[in-house]
Amino acid sequence: MAKGKLNNKVRRLRFDNGEMTQQKLADATGVTRQTIIAIESGKYAPSLPLAFRIARTFGVRVEDVFKYEDEDS
Amino acid sequence: MNKTQKGAWFNLVMVLLGVAIGVWVIVELVVLGRLPEGFAMVWPLIAFWLVVVIAIISLRRKQSPAEVDSDERDNLIKHRAVIASFVSVWILLAGVTVIPRFVVGIKGSIPVWLLAFINLCVLLGAGLVYSVAVLVQYGWRGKDGKG
Repeated sequence: MAKGKLNNKVRRLRFDNGEMTQQKLADATGVTRQTIIAIESGKYAPSLPLAFRIARTFGVRVEDVFKYEDEDS
Repeated sequence: MNKTQKGAWFNLVMVLLGVAIGVWVIVELVVLGRLPEGFAMVWPLIAFWLVVVIAIISLRRKQSPAEVDSDERDNLIKHRAVIASFVSVWILLAGVTVIPRFVVGIKGSIPVWLLAFINLCVLLGAGLVYSVAVLVQYGWRGKDGKG
């Protein structure tokens, strides 16, 4: 099975949405600030429901926030 | 620091305090052969309640009023830590089952109080592994807490 990487634009989207803080995004999506930090730095891949909640908070589609890339592509 | 991290620190401090008190009691009673008196008698109790009060105050303080107690990543981290702790219990129990055979021989015997002591050590070991496993996954204080 090919290994892949989940890239995200959470940090970019936070700044585009009035410089939203990590804490505000965490509160809006029902997670802790540490989880937002881990997602932004690519250390943690969120569940689908959380990915949808993050996208909805920014008013965009999931694929506008997260992008899956195969390492061999 | 979120609630899960604080809980793991509290657990780690309590385990280390338990070990410290245990070593102190053994030194006082067995090595020095005396019964502690005065302040020496109550310091473990003071230390215990001090840690409990600090933990309660710290756990009640939230990063924001809307902060959740735990989320999916916290649950995943706790789940992995429980597995690590469970594995450590089996390794420790296997160790204490095999080692006496080589120390006292196949037909040797050990005092009954040693069994209770071994159980306590396994329990403390499992608690230690759980706390360290949680903190290691968060990156100790760490990178995860800043940003």
